[in-house]
Amino acid sequence: MNILSYYFNNFGKIMSALEVHIFIFLIALTFSTVIGIAISIFVTREGRKKIGRIILSIMGAAQSVPSLVIIALIFIFVGIGIKPAIIALVIYGLVPIIFNTTSGILSVRQNVIEAGKGMGLTQNQLLWKVKIPIALPVIIGGIRSSSTIIIGSATVAAVIGGGGLGDFIFIGLKLQKPEMLVSGAITVSLLAIIVDYIMARIEQKVVSKGLLIKKT
Amino acid sequence: MIELINVTKIFGNKTAVNNLSLHIEKGSLTMFIGPSGCGKTTTLRMINRLTPFDKGNIIVNNTPISDIDPVKLRRNIGYVIQEIGLFPHFTVFENIAIVPRLLKWEQKKIERRVEELLELVTLDQSFTKKYPLQLSGGEKQRVGLARALAAEPEILLMDEPFGAIDPINRLKLQDSFLEIQEEIKKTIVFVTHDINEAIKLGDKIAIIDKGNLIQYDGVSQILSNPANEFVENLLGQDRNIKALSLKKAKDYVLKDGFITVLDTEPPETIKKKLEEKNIKIAFALDARNHLKSRYLLEKATNTKKQKFIHNPAPWIIERQNNINETLSKMLEIGEKQLPVVNRKKEFVGIIKLSNIFEEVNRKEIISEE
Repeated sequence: MNILSYYFNNFGKIMSALEVHIFIFLIALTFSTVIGIAISIFVTREGRKKIGRIILSIMGAAQSVPSLVIIALIFIFVGIGIKPAIIALVIYGLVPIIFNTTSGILSVRQNVIEAGKGMGLTQNQLLWKVKIPIALPVIIGGIRSSSTIIIGSATVAAVIGGGGLGDFIFIGLKLQKPEMLVSGAITVSLLAIIVDYIMARIEQKVVSKGLLIKKT
Repeated sequence: MIELINVTKIFGNKTAVNNLSLHIEKGSLTMFIGPSGCGKTTTLRMINRLTPFDKGNIIVNNTPISDIDPVKLRRNIGYVIQEIGLFPHFTVFENIAIVPRLLKWEQKKIERRVEELLELVTLDQSFTKKYPLQLSGGEKQRVGLARALAAEPEILLMDEPFGAIDPINRLKLQDSFLEIQEEIKKTIVFVTHDINEAIKLGDKIAIIDKGNLIQYDGVSQILSNPANEFVENLLGQDRNIKALSLKKAKDYVLKDGFITVLDTEPPETIKKKLEEKNIKIAFALDARNHLKSRYLLEKATNTKKQKFIHNPAPWIIERQNNINETLSKMLEIGEKQLPVVNRKKEFVGIIKLSNIFEEVNRKEIISEE
């Protein structure tokens, strides 16, 4: 009951930390998505398949780097505060987006691309009307895991002064106040679950039904 | 009209197409045939500049294609490949509408065109809302053809379009493809490795081996006059029988010797009509001209009385069936005459066994030297 009473007594503080957390998350995800997709498009252009494959293996390896390492590195080079925290999260959030978008675009079947070219689609039309829509389920999958990762890592970014719900966890840890720690953890987890649910709904909305049909 | 002039394509140190010249007439169906890796597909892909050529030139409708922007060129040339490459995220309608939309046609015009094309390839209008994954191989191929024809290109390039279809459906697709071509009269270049397909479909055949054009001629000329051993081997031992397959059921359709009635008429009236006109067969058609049943007036063996027989679902021959298929069907089911329908299943006439034999006897189909 300690936790509940703590939660209600500090509801205002928790909510403003949540706001900061959501703010950091939205900014980091937006940058990660835009930069990640742009990089993926660049490396998957016609005749750059090799670069695309190299990027894929680098990203595959990068996924196993702990977020704390990136955050620590950014701290060394950029310093402390909310900005360095966001920069670290953008970099960390890029990884799944580049990985999924690149592999999604590269795995669009060759005959579909050939047919498109043969019908007189330009490179750009081929990209926006064919490759990206077909790769969309995989791309959104990347944005989804990026969201989860950013929300989770944003708690860690509190160590370099990012603020947000991570403060509750780290201060709770230091002060040995479990109710404080758990309040922060529960709120972060709920946020992650809700965001993932929203992403799933968006995916259903924007992905073509033709790609979801199971062959009988 | 397509004109290839001394076209050469080199991949690395391999000459894929060697100094090839070819004149393809407007409205004709030209088959490219040869073993795999002979350069037939490369030649095809050079016509819409999917593969650039190294030497020579290609002229399409009096303009060298090197002077035409590749994107513009391709929008005026239909292209169908073996794997079809329908866009899985688009419905059938959207797939067919791609090029018209790129060309900024009005929505109303696009809708009309799609409707027209589905009818042409004999697919029901309900297909517009389906996705490629919901279609069978044959249906996908029909949609692929409709998509290639959407913006009314004069030229159609087809790269083994029926290659991945099972043999029975392939024959059907070939039949309806021939009827479609009879209707649309496009200039078609069609790559195949199946000599029977080349003979069945082609007006002319270009035989290619190791990047060289070996022989280019009308189908019957090639059958009766193979240029060398390579062509002979390609054609196989049974050239005479293959030549028979050049003749189609439609060449023997008769419009008399039967009457047609409405399938709603009572049998008594039909019998009366037959007796009055002294005719033995009546075909009952519905309002859309589809064959529903057959009535026969036959002499019973022992008495002088006539038997009146009703066959609800009679055997049929399709117009595009070749004479081999037609003969074997008639012999197999023991009928001396069968009704003929077109690809829309409309009744067009009858075909008689005796008539085919007469014709085959009168002149040998190919003249052996």
